[in-house]
Amino acid sequence: MKALLTAALCLTTSVAMAQENDPWAFEEGSEARSWNLFAEIPATFEAEVVDLLCEVAGNCVDNCGDGKRQLGLLRTADNALIYPNKNNQTSFNGAVADLLPYCGQMVEVDGLILDDPDLGAVNIYQLQTIRLAGETEWNKANQWTKAWEAANPGAEGKGPWFRRDPRVLAEIAEEGYFGLGLEKDEEIKDAIFE
Amino acid sequence: MTISRIAASLLAPALLAWGAPALATEGERIEVTGEIIDTWCYFSGVMGGPDAVVGTAHHTCALWCSAGGIPVGLLAEDGTVYMVLKIKEDDASAGGDTQLRLASHTVTADGMLYQRDGLNYLVVEDVVSDLDITNFNAEDYGTVPPFAIPKEER
Repeated sequence: MKALLTAALCLTTSVAMAQENDPWAFEEGSEARSWNLFAEIPATFEAEVVDLLCEVAGNCVDNCGDGKRQLGLLRTADNALIYPNKNNQTSFNGAVADLLPYCGQMVEVDGLILDDPDLGAVNIYQLQTIRLAGETEWNKANQWTKAWEAANPGAEGKGPWFRRDPRVLAEIAEEGYFGLGLEKDEEIKDAIFE
Repeated sequence: MTISRIAASLLAPALLAWGAPALATEGERIEVTGEIIDTWCYFSGVMGGPDAVVGTAHHTCALWCSAGGIPVGLLAEDGTVYMVLKIKEDDASAGGDTQLRLASHTVTADGMLYQRDGLNYLVVEDVVSDLDITNFNAEDYGTVPPFAIPKEER
């Protein structure tokens, strides 16, 4: 029995290491769309949705932080911790709103892994679709702007959310578009838009 | 089901029975200096090369991404990126106020480093110094992206 377990452990470790070392190992079956990124690789896999601060540092709270904290994907096949940096929207949105409903649950995801070790981009993920493990219908990872609209009912005006976000507007009103103060802002604008 | 998952499912009860430790990483106390960056633009190259998606040129986009819940990182002087999970008492790493106020700033952070699956995770205990923005690259790159400033405000 001990020999069998040892052999199984070796097999598991070697297969898991091979998958971990090969960013293409999760391409099969992926239907992710290309975003024409330099280091993108399609990747679909099963994972548990975890609170990253809890998983990494043992600092845990209820319900994965209720949307305040970044969430990760603990991949079933090799136990690798994958960091979703981006959802499927194109307007500067992270993936937490799409992952939070699945806190602590097993999901299947499809999207793009970034593999650019020279920049430090390893196990960084762009989430395109998600579903509970075993379900048949995929859900698009596009919940961020809906969550923002619900949280900012008074954010009036034209344009996308980032032109109307009260916190962003307050920062720009105080520090300018270049972050150096309003007087310096005008100097830089004059220099680059002349 | 893959071979590894079959083996893993066979092994999990055995490892638990043997009292195998969880895979939590052990932290290391560090002090590191660098710029608070938007990691998606930096890693993906979607807005341009790494020198263009930092500093004054990219400040407005860094605000958008931070408010939008994209993870922020600390880009150290040696090029290492630390994924920031907490800043002092503020654990709102997905769009929180503290990280928004520090967008593009060069800071010295004291905290705990955890390394896991190729990424560096940083839990900041204290911001030792905040030098504001120190990378003045807007005159080299303009605004990144070009539409960062509305036409009527240029």
